[in-house]
Amino acid sequence: MTSLGNEAHLAPKELWQRDKKGLLLALGNDILGDDAVGHLVAREAAARLDLNQTEVVETGEAGLALLEQLAGYDQAVIVDAFETSEYTPGTVLVYGVDDFREIVAPSPHYAGLPEVFDLARRLHLPMPEPMKVVAISVLGPFAFGHSVSPDVEAAIPEAVEAVLRVLGQRA
Amino acid sequence: MAETKRITIDPITRLEGHGKVDIYLDDAGDVERAYFQIPELRGFEVFSLGRPAEDMPQITSRICGVCPTAHHMAATKALDQLYRVQPPRPARLIRELVYNAFMLEDHALHVYVLGGPDFIVGPEAPPELRNVVGVISKVGVEVGLRVISTRRRLREMISHIAGKVIHPVLGLPGGVAKGLKPEEVAEYRALANDAVDFARFTLQVFKDVVLANPEYVDLIRSAAYTHRTYYMGLVDDQNRVNFYDGDIRVKTPDGDEYSKFKERDYLEHIAEHVEPWSYVKFCYLSQVGWQGFLGGGESGVYSVAPLARLNVAEGMATPIAQEAYEEYVATLGPKMIHHTLANHWARVVEMVHAAERLVEILNDPEVASDDLRTMPTEVPTRGVGVVEAPRGTLYHDYTTDERGILTKVNLIVATQNNSARMAMSVEAAAKALIKGGEVSDGILNKVEMAFRAYDPCHACATHSLPGQMPLVVRVRKPDGAVVQEFRR
Repeated sequence: MTSLGNEAHLAPKELWQRDKKGLLLALGNDILGDDAVGHLVAREAAARLDLNQTEVVETGEAGLALLEQLAGYDQAVIVDAFETSEYTPGTVLVYGVDDFREIVAPSPHYAGLPEVFDLARRLHLPMPEPMKVVAISVLGPFAFGHSVSPDVEAAIPEAVEAVLRVLGQRA
Repeated sequence: MAETKRITIDPITRLEGHGKVDIYLDDAGDVERAYFQIPELRGFEVFSLGRPAEDMPQITSRICGVCPTAHHMAATKALDQLYRVQPPRPARLIRELVYNAFMLEDHALHVYVLGGPDFIVGPEAPPELRNVVGVISKVGVEVGLRVISTRRRLREMISHIAGKVIHPVLGLPGGVAKGLKPEEVAEYRALANDAVDFARFTLQVFKDVVLANPEYVDLIRSAAYTHRTYYMGLVDDQNRVNFYDGDIRVKTPDGDEYSKFKERDYLEHIAEHVEPWSYVKFCYLSQVGWQGFLGGGESGVYSVAPLARLNVAEGMATPIAQEAYEEYVATLGPKMIHHTLANHWARVVEMVHAAERLVEILNDPEVASDDLRTMPTEVPTRGVGVVEAPRGTLYHDYTTDERGILTKVNLIVATQNNSARMAMSVEAAAKALIKGGEVSDGILNKVEMAFRAYDPCHACATHSLPGQMPLVVRVRKPDGAVVQEFRR
């Protein structure tokens, strides 16, 4: 195996330093119907959060990009739409990272949360602890549009409360 | 509020028209047919109509989280043509700088995380090791850190110049919104030189791990992963690979130039075939015609993406990438190279090209110029923009009224260009590898490798909550009854 050569840029600590301790990370596509709900929750939560302490980020990315988004924060909450036949649309659930290890046979080629955290540990990257996921059950979001369905819209206040509770900033 | 310790995602729900493979066996347990379905998001055209065309670089970059920069750039180029305006050279350099940085970081993701595990860890390794963690275990922690930090630095550069990586705001009709300062050029030049080192290192990893293993080379060359089709891609005025601009060149399976055309004429060359079992329309060369999912000169099926780009070009535009290209052709050629899994090697050659272009652009005296825009003055009519996305040729086609309000929108994305050949690849691999009804995880993974090599964009799967692509594979008897099902 060849040498990497100049290793000065491997992973300088300052690359992962953050100005704020907490992260609220909204996932999903904000122009794809119900898939936007994570973004809507984050925008409402942002109005009630201490933004000196918490960074609010909206993104359509996933997989390895989550590592780049999460590393360096002390605590983090992901908020996202979640499609499942087990729960009716608008159900709000809160999960920890370890809960995702129980997903049946995830694709080995798309880094999910457990892989992201496993990879970060092996690379000695600082990851948030605790890390929670606030998930809002939706119907298949496969058509473009700006609006979310009524059941999902009605769940936004509950999801906002869950985000604030997890971040310890509930009034 | 419900608190649970366990979560189950039903991939069937998620997979209505998404990441699905149906394999039909005959009475002997061999494969009769195999169908691979990929997602298609609905309603984008309707969503766009009535909006100002100038919004499209921002709107289209939100189609998915995978290729935002490719959509942004194709949309921006479509606006150039719509308003009949050419960006000044410094603006074009900045666009190319951002675009090559995007190509490099996106290709790196595929090499190390998405497709790489198939080779770096091994196609028959246990599933729990066939992932990025397995790759790191194989190549070393320092390589993992290099991948993560290089990607991050590239993405920070993109963000600084173009705004958020996922929502770039750089492109304007006739130019760009922001230029570079001389001190930024110096900083980015150091990053570009590191990027060249990183790309060369990746090339060496590929040689050490893949090419040094005769079994892997045999796998790449095997009939299960080989189709003689047409190929399409952008080339510059010397017929070399270009990601950002040029003419669209098509070559026959024998390597002759079949056609070379401007982006605005694409509808004279590409048509779409519909199958009842798929949401995706299958693109083909209209002047050759649709003969079914077949290879050869009589069939209009063509391919895009790294393998195709290196097939339609006569070489690379940068020196180290050219050396890598020559070694690639000498090993797998002579051209045309029809091995689907060669996409992985071609992708690494392209990483070198992208990194070298960063250096070239940042060494150009005009890159820090403040001549960033040619103001549009013409009445808009129709504009077509094309770029080479990481996954292949991407077309954006907008028609507007005289106020620039969209009246017609057509997009052909890379995965759609590849859809017919990808379907052929899945079926060929299934037929070659599944015998007597035996379907193990290792065999199944080798079937998946047939489509993974193309780096297909599962746009709406990428944002699924845990960040994974659900996939279900069903093996069926001739009567359609499911005899085996795999969920991933």
